[in-house]
Amino acid sequence: MSRVWMLIRIAFANAVRGIRTGSTTSSLAVLTIAIVLVLVGSASLLVNNMSGLLDEFGRELQLTAYLEDGIPEPELQRLATTVGGAPGVERVEVVTRQEALARFEKIAGGAELLAGLEENPLPASLEIHLLPGARTSEAIGILESSLDGLPGIDELAHGREWIEGYARALSLVRGGATVISIVLGLAALSIVANTIRLALYARRDELDILALVGASRTFVRVPFMLEGTLQGLLGGVIALLIVFGAYELLLPQLRFGLELLVGHAELRFFTTAEALGLVAAGGGLGLLGSMTALVGWRGQT
Amino acid sequence: MYHVSKSYMAGVYALRDVSLEVRRGEFVFLTGPSGAGKTTLLELLFAAEQPSEGQILVLGRNAARLGAGAIPALRRRVGVVFQDFKLLEDRTVEENVRLALDVIGVPRREARSRVFQMLKSVGLQHRRFHHPLSLSGGEQQRVALARALVNEPEILLADEPTGNLDPELTLEIMDLIVSASTRGTTVMVATHDLSLIERYGKRVLRLEDGRVIEDVPAAGSRLGSEA
Repeated sequence: MSRVWMLIRIAFANAVRGIRTGSTTSSLAVLTIAIVLVLVGSASLLVNNMSGLLDEFGRELQLTAYLEDGIPEPELQRLATTVGGAPGVERVEVVTRQEALARFEKIAGGAELLAGLEENPLPASLEIHLLPGARTSEAIGILESSLDGLPGIDELAHGREWIEGYARALSLVRGGATVISIVLGLAALSIVANTIRLALYARRDELDILALVGASRTFVRVPFMLEGTLQGLLGGVIALLIVFGAYELLLPQLRFGLELLVGHAELRFFTTAEALGLVAAGGGLGLLGSMTALVGWRGQT
Repeated sequence: MYHVSKSYMAGVYALRDVSLEVRRGEFVFLTGPSGAGKTTLLELLFAAEQPSEGQILVLGRNAARLGAGAIPALRRRVGVVFQDFKLLEDRTVEENVRLALDVIGVPRREARSRVFQMLKSVGLQHRRFHHPLSLSGGEQQRVALARALVNEPEILLADEPTGNLDPELTLEIMDLIVSASTRGTTVMVATHDLSLIERYGKRVLRLEDGRVIEDVPAAGSRLGSEA
């Protein structure tokens, strides 16, 4: 067994011993990390789902280019291809006059309303679906100017207010999520560091004795960092279970509320990678917390 | 130690212009009233403190200028024993002694064997799986001594090692320390127990107000090379 491996094993054993013997301070650290991660996890889940809903809503956002009458079919297809290549366009759907009429009939609930019409009054159109990055007022401005003057287009219609509202909501949610993450992260780090520092003071005799017998700084500190990491991972697992429990418990009510508000609600829990990320964040928080706590720790070292 | 002074606050000196030389293998008693500077002097020798002035040469290294990274290497060559034992209560006797070997990466099997031999030499091999609090004061100090000696240090520093022990146990511990000295370890024992000093007849450094006021050589001692 190599010396390094043996030192790692000793460090790991010391870390586990630290967790076992310092059960009160250890539990406090685990609990602190778990609470913080429940907040962070819930906020991320909320932001994820809000972003998901907004993305779904964004997919519905589109521009409609009404076309002049009498454009022949080949010309119509060429125009659709040209518009499809414009900046910010995801795809273009051609709606012929007949299709427009059929849609109207469907919306109107039957053909009776249109029975008196001598001819189809509806124009053919191109429904222009936007790329996610182009769902902003500025991007639409650019798209408009590139479509301006294209032969065959009679009028360009879009819900600019809707698009602007969507962009505002999206940036609000993302900005809010960033601020919340930073604030919670810093608060978590500070709380965890202080909790671990408390554990450090509770075991200062042990640290002093280790230093006395010639333990290197690494030998003294690595078990604490491992201990912090293990506590963090444990806190992360607990937080994940709590967030999952709460999600499962509240899901029916949330789904019902959202269906009332926006008509449909596809909610989702964390993916496996995201769930592992939350647990890993706990480990990282524990490690960073213990490193922060050790900064300035001198003892006999 | 050359012209060493140590002050913890401006104008208040724990040690003042102390110069002394202890040779390899020598046994020295450090004595004087409380507050004379005995503990500070020992702390300077294992780099728990840095001097305010002067130079300290320990095992060929200047302890006054050691960086944090070099201190562990020095301490692995210096065993230290305190009046209050400084044992970890949540670890067994064996684990406490093994600490000194763990930190230098001695393989577990070898470490166990060396700890057993060391505990045998202090008469505690049968207590190796006990925890310190189940031992008497004398036994705890023997464990501390075993921990200090298991790594075969070149220097042993003992700060009032018998201060908490009754006379019989005191002699038991002192005999163990003297026997370490006879194996070639340089020993420095801080004590204010004059009967011990008289009994063993070793070199005595007497401190008062942070100064060495008397240096009494051991009767018939033969000095080796400088430690």
